[in-house]
Amino acid sequence: MDLAIFLVQLLNGLQYGLLLFLIASGLTLVFGVMGILNLAHGSMYMVGAYLAWYFFQGTESFLFSAVISAVIALMLGVLIERTLICRMYKRNHLDQVLLTIGMIFVFNALQSLLWGNDPLGVDVPDALSGSLHLTGVVEYPVYRIFVALFCVAIAAALYFVINRTRLGMLIRAGESNREMVECLGVDISRLYTIVFGAGVMLATIAGVVAAPMASIVPGMGEHVLISCFVVVVIGGMGSIKGALVGALLVGVVDTFASVVVPDVASMIVYILMAVILLIKPQGLFSN
Amino acid sequence: MSHDIVLETEALCKYWGGIKALDNMNLAFRANSLHGIVGPNGAGKSTLLNLLCGTYEPTSGRILHNGEAIDSIKPYEFARRGIGRGFQKTNIYPSATCLENCCIAAQRRIGGNFNIFRWRHNDQLLKEIADEALQRVGLGSRRDTVAAKISYGEQRQLEIAMVLATAPSVLLLDEPMAGMGHEESQLIIDLLKNLKSDYCIVLVEHDMDAVFELSDQLTVMVNGQHLVTGTVDEVRDDVRVKEAYLGQGDEVF
Amino acid sequence: MFLTNKTEAWFFWVFFPLALLAPLFLEQNEFYVSKITTVVILAIFVMSLDYLIGRCGMVTLGHSMFYGLGGYLFVMLAPEYETVNFWVYTFYICVIAAAIALIVGVVVLRTSGIYMIMITLAIAQMCFYFFSDSIHWGGNDGLFIYIKPETSIFGLSFFDLDNVTHFYYFCLLSLFNCLVFFRMVLRSRFGRVMDAIRENPQRTTALGYNIFLFRLASYAMASALGAYAGYLFALQYGYVNPSMLSWQLSGTALVMSILGGMGTIYGAIMGTLVYEGLHYSLEHLTEHWLLLMGIFIIALVMLFKSGIAGFLESLLEKRS
Repeated sequence: MDLAIFLVQLLNGLQYGLLLFLIASGLTLVFGVMGILNLAHGSMYMVGAYLAWYFFQGTESFLFSAVISAVIALMLGVLIERTLICRMYKRNHLDQVLLTIGMIFVFNALQSLLWGNDPLGVDVPDALSGSLHLTGVVEYPVYRIFVALFCVAIAAALYFVINRTRLGMLIRAGESNREMVECLGVDISRLYTIVFGAGVMLATIAGVVAAPMASIVPGMGEHVLISCFVVVVIGGMGSIKGALVGALLVGVVDTFASVVVPDVASMIVYILMAVILLIKPQGLFSN
Repeated sequence: MSHDIVLETEALCKYWGGIKALDNMNLAFRANSLHGIVGPNGAGKSTLLNLLCGTYEPTSGRILHNGEAIDSIKPYEFARRGIGRGFQKTNIYPSATCLENCCIAAQRRIGGNFNIFRWRHNDQLLKEIADEALQRVGLGSRRDTVAAKISYGEQRQLEIAMVLATAPSVLLLDEPMAGMGHEESQLIIDLLKNLKSDYCIVLVEHDMDAVFELSDQLTVMVNGQHLVTGTVDEVRDDVRVKEAYLGQGDEVF
Repeated sequence: MFLTNKTEAWFFWVFFPLALLAPLFLEQNEFYVSKITTVVILAIFVMSLDYLIGRCGMVTLGHSMFYGLGGYLFVMLAPEYETVNFWVYTFYICVIAAAIALIVGVVVLRTSGIYMIMITLAIAQMCFYFFSDSIHWGGNDGLFIYIKPETSIFGLSFFDLDNVTHFYYFCLLSLFNCLVFFRMVLRSRFGRVMDAIRENPQRTTALGYNIFLFRLASYAMASALGAYAGYLFALQYGYVNPSMLSWQLSGTALVMSILGGMGTIYGAIMGTLVYEGLHYSLEHLTEHWLLLMGIFIIALVMLFKSGIAGFLESLLEKRS
């Protein structure tokens, strides 16, 4: 492997890792604040990709489809939280798992009902369609760099919201002590609705920006869900910082594994996870 | 009756980050006597108890049981060595009968725990041990009642019975009288009086009258530090103890 | 009698006679006999999961790993064009699956609750990708079993695996044995400790039990039975493929187990029957049966928490 290929792979790894972070941050946020394990989180990623495709067909504008998809996702998240998830706070993990499995079934069925089972694709927006010359012969697509930067921007925004705003203060308080927050006179159910909606929206946005890079196929949600599990297990459930580190680790390791040891590539990240768990059963950044 | 040292701590420390929950504790607990531990809230009493039964690992220092260092053994091995533990919050099997609660406790010692062919209700010895433990704490009449349905005070008694069924030499009790009415407390006091001639009991308790009435030795702790150890009379007259308690404004005696 | 209560006895005396007679009604149609054979095999799998989750308190979402391994182990171990003995390979598969469970268990059982759910899932996925990516083991398409094992014991053969009815009765017998086995385990001293661990792990440790070892033993036991079910499935259809290892199967088994009544063991049979029955009829009703199934599962969680067994028990056990 020469330096140029190494660089490209590193970029690929980081970019994939950042995208994973975008999805995993929603998962870990919802778990950290609300104690809910949302198995249907991957389905939201799928919904994002399909919505982007759907609106892109109608409008030919990627920006417009991205925005409208995000808004729909937020509404969907709020709806799900208000109707279903809100009944799960006092139930055990098993019930949450079961409910969200049911949701996966429903989303998969709706996807096949509305959009069929053929692979679909979205064109890269014109403004971002070129390639950058890294060295003399090695090029790198601008869109991938854009996605990476976009994810970094979201991460920064998340960091700002959680550490610098009143909402963030409540989220942090909610993570450490639920009763406390209620005693402070905060309407906890509204906080939960906001957090869940935000979590869904993060996954959906990830689906939207990933749409031009990957083919849109049934089952894409489950695949990404499992990767996200690995990320949050490595990083520590409920920790955003852990999700970032875990996602970058998984992204880079996975990308290099598929170049270096293609035969067992898809197993490598799971082995990585198992090793980390043996050393730190609660993940790298557990509270 | 021998009063040999059964359990001992040497320079035992437990830090949580920078907070010294327990600092440099040197104590000796003797057989066939009751050692009371008192102190204001946050003095580190429960921490001490959790260290003695292996729930926490000490930051530094040693715990000796019959002269052997046991601070690095696994939590479950403490019970096997005869160090039995009662919890601050009631900790029983609520859906099982009182007898079954004690059977679970006794079975560990009797063996056959991995035997999937041996029917669980088919052993006279096990039942005898469990019955004896229930009788000893005065719960004989509740033998076949489901543990969730007996009174709070009785549940505390049951918890002591479970520990007795493991045939311990040391009993670590964490506020067995917390949340009890006067009469229920009196039952426990009588029980402990009866038990202390046979076991080494370490009792953490807020109820001062009870501790003073029961203790052969008494240790006062403040802020994770050892303040004074002595007989009840020695402690009662100690100036530092009065200061510590009055200074805290917590409980005055 | 090894049955715990009236409901179980009632179920027992209704289900097994009916199941014994079932092939008589369906004799004309081998398809249906083989269909209910699959349901019976699945019930064994669900039962082992029910024991693990409902009686040991270990929520796993990776149980399908052992189901798949049961099938794959046979393909990997047995020579391709030689007839092997069924019992010998049953023994191999159960022992190897238990050994794998012991190793996996060391990682998995260090955790609990939500972590355990995610880690079991991830490990099962690792196994899934191992087989679906490997060209040697058939990749996505899986592998065929060309020659089914023979079932003689010391030269005496009681049944033929290729005969649909024989195989059905053998699977039914396996299910019965499984039920008896779990009942026996649960009323043993080992079962007492498992009950204690489920209800109050902290207390159980404080009494001097090494709860890790007990959980590990249960995990290995349930995993071996799960693998046995997968082995039967592979023999029935004559092939193995990665979908046997998929997390969807674990999820579905979880739904069946809860539908039947978590932790009741015999409920696993009812749950499997009802779920598969529903699946079958919805599938024939509409192409989008998945939607109805999803809604059914959501409704199940919301409204019908104690499952069929719990419902029946509330009807039948009131007087006691």
